[in-house]
This record gives sequence, C-alpha cells and structure tokens, in this order.
Amino acid sequence: MSEKNQKRGSAVEREKQTEKHHGTDAAPVSGNGNGSRETPSGAGVEERRKRPRPKISDTPPLPPPPPKLADYTPIVGQPEIDELHFLAQRLRNKSVKMVNSTAVGGGVAEILNRLIPLMNELEVNTKWEVITGGNDFFEVTKGFHNALHGGEYNVTKEVLEIFMMYNEQNRQRMEFTEDLFVIHDPQPAGLIHSKSKTRGKWIWRCHIDLSNPHPDVWGFLRPLVDQYDSAIFSSPSFARQLAIPQYLFYPCIDPLSEKNKDLDESFINKVCEDFGVDRSRPIITQISRFDRLKDPVGVIQAYKMVKKYVDCQLVLAGGGATDDPEGAVVLAEVMEEAGDDPDVIILNLPPWSALEINALQRASTVIIQKSLKEGFGLTVTEGLWKGKPVIGGAVGGIPVQIIHKLTGVLVHSVEGCAYQLRYLLTHPEIAAQLGKNGREHVKENFLMTTNVKRWLLLFQLMLGMARPVKPDRAVVPADLPKAEEEARAK
Amino acid sequence: MATTMQPVTAQRWARQPFYFNTAAHLLRIGRQRASTLNELLEGVRTCPDDSIFQHTFQTLQEHHFIREGFSNDFAHWAFAACNEVGLAERLSSVDVREYTSIKALRERIVAIVDDYLKKNSRAADRAALEPFYFCASDSVLIPLPVVARNLQEFVEGIEKVSIHSIHYHFIEARLRLKLNSNDFSMWLEEELDLGMLADKINRIDIYTSTLQDVRRAILRILQPTAMAA
Repeated sequence: MSEKNQKRGSAVEREKQTEKHHGTDAAPVSGNGNGSRETPSGAGVEERRKRPRPKISDTPPLPPPPPKLADYTPIVGQPEIDELHFLAQRLRNKSVKMVNSTAVGGGVAEILNRLIPLMNELEVNTKWEVITGGNDFFEVTKGFHNALHGGEYNVTKEVLEIFMMYNEQNRQRMEFTEDLFVIHDPQPAGLIHSKSKTRGKWIWRCHIDLSNPHPDVWGFLRPLVDQYDSAIFSSPSFARQLAIPQYLFYPCIDPLSEKNKDLDESFINKVCEDFGVDRSRPIITQISRFDRLKDPVGVIQAYKMVKKYVDCQLVLAGGGATDDPEGAVVLAEVMEEAGDDPDVIILNLPPWSALEINALQRASTVIIQKSLKEGFGLTVTEGLWKGKPVIGGAVGGIPVQIIHKLTGVLVHSVEGCAYQLRYLLTHPEIAAQLGKNGREHVKENFLMTTNVKRWLLLFQLMLGMARPVKPDRAVVPADLPKAEEEARAK
Repeated sequence: MATTMQPVTAQRWARQPFYFNTAAHLLRIGRQRASTLNELLEGVRTCPDDSIFQHTFQTLQEHHFIREGFSNDFAHWAFAACNEVGLAERLSSVDVREYTSIKALRERIVAIVDDYLKKNSRAADRAALEPFYFCASDSVLIPLPVVARNLQEFVEGIEKVSIHSIHYHFIEARLRLKLNSNDFSMWLEEELDLGMLADKINRIDIYTSTLQDVRRAILRILQPTAMAA
C-alpha cells in the first residue's frame, strides 16, 4: 500500500475505527435469518450461527478525502495523466455546472464526489449543485425512475405539475452563468427551460436504461431532452432515437476508493476469518443485493453442481434485506436454497461495507454476477479490476465488460454457470489470464481517469474548441498549429 | 561497417523533427442498428466512415491488451451474438494494416459478409442474441510536448508517450499516409535514412501483441543503435 493511501486511512486503520463503533453485527446470516426465521436447521446452520460476528458500524463512517490526480499515476501511468492536463489546458477559463438530485447515496453522487475535485484540480472550474424538493417531488421522480425502466405508472396531470413545479422552483433559485451545464438524470431535466437565457451548452447525462420506457413518462420527458445540445448514455442499448447527438460514456469505478483500492493481505485475511471464509479452499463470490434479478438462488444451484467435483465455498454478500421487504423475502429464499451447507456463506451487509466487500472480492477465486437483468453491472467492473476471473450473465452492460473467453465468461443458464465454474476452478492458468485481461479492460475503458478524459473531450467539442479529425485526412484542423506551438512551448 | 556508423547515426540531426501527437476519441451512438446479418450488411454499406473506423481501427485500440484473437467488432458480433463461427473467422482475418482507406476496408467487410450470406442464406435473417449498435468515433488530435530531433530523442519519446500515441502514429497513420507504413517508419527512413530499422518496425505484428508489446518491440529495434552513441 502506498504511503499516500496510508495517510488517507488505511484498511487496517479503518478496521480499527470499525471496531471502535458499537455497531450492528454484520454477521453471516444464520439459519434463523437474524432471528426472524427458524428453518432450515441442521449442523451446518448451527455452525454458521456460531461464527464470530465482525462489527461494522451502524452509521456510515466519514468518507476519506478525495484523491489527487497524481495519486492515479502509479495506476494509469504518467502519460495518461499528462494527456488529461493537455486536454484541460484549453478549458482553463471555462466554467461548468453539474446538477443532480442527491448529494449522498447512489452511484451518481459517488461519481460526482470524485469527478468534481479532479476537474477543479485540472483548473476546469466545475460546480456541483443539487436540486431540492419535497417528498411529493421525490415520490414522483421515483415513480418516473421505475417507469423509465419499464414499470407501470399512472401519469396524471397532478404528477406532471408536481414535477415541473419543483423544477421551476430550482430554476428560479439557481444561477446559470457557466459555459456548460451538465444535468444528470430525469429529476432536474426541466432546468433546460433556462437555456434560452444562457450562453452555455446544455448536456443531459442519463444514467438509467431507457431501452423500454413507459410511453407516457418518456412522452413527457422527451420534449425536454430534445432541447439539450447533446445527451450521454451508459450503453448504446440504453439510448433512444433522439434528434440531438448522443454520446457513450461507460460508467466507471474509482481505483482509489475503499471498494477498489489495494488492501493489505492481513486485512483480507482478517475479514475472511471474521466471516468464516476459509482461504485455503476455492472461494466463489457474488456481490449483489438480495434481488431476484441477480439470481442468487441460481448461483447456489450452480455452486451445488460444482461442489460435487470441487471442494469450494460460496459467498453471497449484499444488502437490501434489512430495509427492503422484497429483499427480506429473497434472502429467505436464498437461505432455503442454501439449506444446511456450512460452505454457503450469506452476508447481509450495510451499504458502508466497502472495505469488507473489497476484501471478499480480493479473496475470491472466481467472481460471479449471474444477473437475469442488469444495468451496467459495476460489481463486474470491480471484480475485473481485482484481476479475478468473472462469470457474468449475458445481460445489460455485462457483455460490454466481459468479452466471452477473453476478459471473462458469459453464461445464459445455471448449468452453463456451473460448467464454467468447474472449468475455471480446475484451470487456474486460464482463470489467471482472463483475470489479467479483465483488469486491463477496466484500466483502458472503465476507470475514473478515462471518465475525466471523456468529459474534457466532450466539453471541447461542445464549445467548438476542438473539431473531430477525420481518421483518413492528412490535413489537420486549421487551429492546430497554434495550439501545437503553445503546448509544445510548455 | 554498421558498428562504426552507429554513433554517427544516433547523434545525427534529423532533417525535420518528429512531433509526437496522440488522439483522444469520444464514442458517438449512431442511429443504425442491426438485429440480423442482413441488417449488418446494409449497415456496413451505408454507415459513416467514422463508424467503420470505430468498429475496426479504434476498437483494436480499446482492446489492445488482448493477444488471444480480438480483431474487430463485426467479427466479435458474428461470433458472440449470431453464433456464425465461419463468418467470424473470416471477418477476424481482416488486418487493418492492409488498408490505407476506410473505403477499401468497408468494401472488404461487405464482400465477406455478402459472400457468406450467399452461401448461407438461412443465416441472413436469423435474429441475433443482441443487436449490433453502430457507433462512431469523434477523434480529437492532441499535440504532445514531445519532439525528437535525433534517434536518441526519438527513443526517449517512444518510452515517454502513452499507448494511444503509439496507436495514433503506428496504426492509424496508414489512413493518413495512404501508405502501408506508419509515421515512425516514414520518419526514420525519410529524415534519418534508417530504412532497415524503419522496415523492421513496420513488420511488428499488432494482432499478437499488445500496444505495450509494440512499444517494447520498437525500443528493442532502435535502442542498440541509439545507445551506441
């Protein structure tokens, strides 16, 4: 671990901090499911119940300070960091406002928490503002969110008025003096009504899958989206046919976050010991909330097929079973399927267990994400980044990350998953090569630094500061020689 | 004779310096998509040049770390989404370095798919597992503050620049040059009269090497001469 990382709060330090908290027991879920379930019973369940219960704080710990650009140099190399500086040079007197609907929690806030400091370090003046609204607004936007994913929703006049009223309130409250405005997701999409009063360019960054939206909700949002200068989606399959240019920005992970940074082997050992995971035997892991779309029951079925041939363990770690009634039901189904096998380790963890998740992924022999439906699937990205062979369901954004048999393995069934597990567990050299390729794939395409580069490039294009060069044209743009001289003079 | 020439070669000033550049690419989602091989054929015929570039040259850069057979997006889709192994094999064999124009590359891909569908007509309208989404690359040139005026500085530049710069000069260059060569070889030959080294560099296999391997191979070829100074 680097000295810098140690200063920011090493895994061991966090571990000590964690132990200081008188938090909830983030224990392996025993056969009685935290006391709420009596069956199944048996020796294996009893064994699970007797396992030590590691303490995890019942409140989120303070986040460590965001990394500096130089901290990424050992990971991506100096040339990559230099290129970011070159791209940012032209944008130094420009300003950007990013707007979303929440400052904490959720993937968008997580990305912005890292992106905004890096942009400012590059001297691209970037502000982040969060829209406000009452419970009625957020109920509507939650309904919109589900409906845009294909769910049912009753779009009434009142619902639309609530949406636009809060957008209008926020629009009146905010100032729009910047050169670029990036509006994240549908919640603040109505801010576009300020476009005519600004000189800047407006970008809509859609983080959700719009491949099958509720027609009424999309019918309401589309006229707003069409007023933007461009839109960004996380996958081509998530996009809609729009009149404006659409760009592809893959979601990204931060290699220096608690979930992804390098960990001391001693910490990984400690976490495994605490959770009753035996590192001397193969470990198969799926990290995901207890949700049927993640097919945790299918994962157990695949494990059982493998177990006949290979003495391995299965770790199913995730959350959502405490605050989500459906999650609790799925957890019960998972417990039922696991039966009394002591080698199936089911962990219902709080959302702030990033270090523990990181350790479990790093301890794994094979990582699975056997989803039946998926967004982009950042748990796949995390597994690949840790150099692990990953088996994923061929859905959503997973095939973008897993190129079958090159950066991982795609499966379509429980049986296929079981076969690939057996193969990877018995062919470690192939598993290692997949892991190596997978990590390189993430390094090239799905890291925070690549994300920063995409933003810098898009900003330049939107502001007309750079023009796309045709790949087969020898003539460079007219403005290049001067810029070239400036850059090279530095 | 070569030994006595090396110090002179390494220190000799080039007639024109080599300016290292790189290109950054932004992926634009196109309007076309294909759910069958027939639709793919139509898409390849009509999509913009930037799309052909993205799905061949550019995807090679995005997957440069794979030594085990990634070639282009069309081949990958034919294999993974259409299960047409024969077609995938033929598309995989398209070596971008043999093409000095997007037009010729497009014609080759069209010819392969067209020929395959004539012989396998039932495959033409079979639904693929996943659609093929035509994307395009918006490429922006980035001048780097790295300039070489002799062989030694050139070697230092190769060591210093990103793999994207290597891709730009070594692989994409042939589209600009309209020659089966690359910026590095052209400069070594034309500005330093190092034709043999230029030729050796041009023969590095990009399909069985990562871009880091390419960098290392270039250095292996040039360093003995550069260090002899």
